Amino acid sequence: MSRRSRAAGAAALVLAAALAAAAAPGGAGAPGAGSARVPAGLGVAWAPVTRVEGVPMLGANDLTRLLGASRTWRSDVRRMVLRSGGRHLTLTADNPFVIVDDRTLRLAHPVRSSQGELHVPVELVERLPREAGWPLLAYDAAARRVRVAPREGFVGTPRVAVSGARTTLEIPCERAEGAGVVGRSRARFRLRLPGALAGELPDSLPEDGLVRDVFATRSAGGVLLELALDPATTGFRLVADAARRRVLVSFTAIPEPGFEAFAAEGAAEPRPLRTIVVDPGHGGSDAGVQAEGVLEKSLALGLAELVADELQRRSGARVTLTRRDDRDLAQETRAELANRARADLVLSLHVGGYPGSRARGALAWCAPATRTPVAGAAGRAGGGREALAPLVALLPWREAALERAVESRALAEHVTAALERAGFGPAGVRERLPLALVGVHSPGILLECGSLTHAEDRARLLSQAGQRDLARAIAEGVLAWRQGG
Amino acid sequence: MRRLLLIAAVLVAVAILAQRFIVEPPSGPAPVSLPDTAEVGLRPVTLLFPNGAGDRLTSEVRELPEETELHARVAVLVAALEEGPRQGGVRPLPAGTALLHAYHDETGLLTLDLSLPFRQGFRGGARAEELALGSLVRTIAANVPEVRRIRLACGGRPLATLAGHFPLDQPLDPEDWF
Repeated sequence: MSRRSRAAGAAALVLAAALAAAAAPGGAGAPGAGSARVPAGLGVAWAPVTRVEGVPMLGANDLTRLLGASRTWRSDVRRMVLRSGGRHLTLTADNPFVIVDDRTLRLAHPVRSSQGELHVPVELVERLPREAGWPLLAYDAAARRVRVAPREGFVGTPRVAVSGARTTLEIPCERAEGAGVVGRSRARFRLRLPGALAGELPDSLPEDGLVRDVFATRSAGGVLLELALDPATTGFRLVADAARRRVLVSFTAIPEPGFEAFAAEGAAEPRPLRTIVVDPGHGGSDAGVQAEGVLEKSLALGLAELVADELQRRSGARVTLTRRDDRDLAQETRAELANRARADLVLSLHVGGYPGSRARGALAWCAPATRTPVAGAAGRAGGGREALAPLVALLPWREAALERAVESRALAEHVTAALERAGFGPAGVRERLPLALVGVHSPGILLECGSLTHAEDRARLLSQAGQRDLARAIAEGVLAWRQGG
Repeated sequence: MRRLLLIAAVLVAVAILAQRFIVEPPSGPAPVSLPDTAEVGLRPVTLLFPNGAGDRLTSEVRELPEETELHARVAVLVAALEEGPRQGGVRPLPAGTALLHAYHDETGLLTLDLSLPFRQGFRGGARAEELALGSLVRTIAANVPEVRRIRLACGGRPLATLAGHFPLDQPLDPEDWF
């Protein structure tokens, strides 16, 4: 988890090349130069910008580093040549002409020599031809830095605005169309943004707003913003504005059209975790997904064993597998096994496969928390009603999982967040009762851990190290769920 | 000889003039092509296909033969899904999937009996299964408005699940799917 930011206001992130459309935060001053608010490990390569004769300049040594180039210096003509691959860039002291490969650029100000080093006007970084293969650099005027743009683009400084019962985060994002909500609880609302965080997290947040805290973590191909929301928040809305390269996520404390309501949430107290049932998907004549000679049923069994070991070692709980070999197993048998074991948790592990090769990442399915079971053990409602509960409560088979939907939803959120953090994302949660949980009277999820039809996913799923990392991440999620929330 | 040639030339000239003035072209209006009474009308339908990234359905409008009878209306939709998208996305139904029977009752419940390749040919994981089911029920609901819920069968028998990830023992409400 990255550093949490605290102070008020937010910086204007003016990424001249990439994020020109990013709006400056209102009513707040820019941070001073040298501010180190980009969370460690999340930021991109950068170099400071200094003023030479009033002109923002970048040191030639820093420029060489950012471009991944080598340099040669000819003192007789005071000329420096930077080379990277087949490309070259020629800088001459006190000369506004810069030669980039086969073209000459005339800068508004000349290259200067100061304190024994050449300094280049930052204007150059905006004019480096993208198509020539030079790394894309961007000037962040507010932070006085030049940054290397990652291939997947930038994520800029979020700006927080409060209007009545609504709080909105406006986040500059070059590839806004790839943004998505991956966690929907008020305690941990998670937003995945493609790109590298080049901006700053807000140092503090408006007192009257619904966003209480902001964290950022690295995710596969992007940044995971984690927001702690006020318990009064009733709904959210995500708008990915690709045209203006920004993501708007709004929260409201009153019902509003166009807003998605938060699902019911459980208490934020520790949960008992004495017995865990791990269910390797498919088996026997049902091989599941088959891709390039790999069978899902075998992969799921191996992964289930790793997850069971990890959970047993770290949680102290008793862990049971629904199958330990390759055999057919009816759904009713799996559910009965979990119910007989009085499982506190059921994990049904699967591996995906998709007709297209672009689909990747993890998905967790849980019983829909927005639905109320038509029948249930009324006595569990608590308080004095327990005395009125019948000795034997009949619960329709299909309704059993719905009774634990809220806890299941929380489990799905925790596990997918852990997978995102471990780089197994994008990870999402879907509320749809999976077959594996029909009749299961315990919190549980069906977890599809990746896609065998996606090259990167497949490579990781098939490697021992990848499977160990995956098992570790799943266990992390389960342990976080045990803590409550 | 010269006289014979002269007589022949006169006869040819007379014949040409006679054809021009005696054999007149038929008068009256030009023939009009009558409409083809067997022609099939087309109507635009909205098909919903899983997108390439596997996270949602994308719509595609296509002109399909206009049918009035329920079975035919549903059959052309199933066939279009089986054919796959033309504007991006992935094919949701296995090759060979076709509608065998369709029953629609007064409550709005449509029972679809699909051919065996629907189940036997499906090879995807949970994500693919969810999107395939969503594609099918949402496409039918979008184009056959009298349908409220859909129950799936395969090869004349009830279908418990497509690929082992989602139960199909109860009718599906299209509004629950994406």
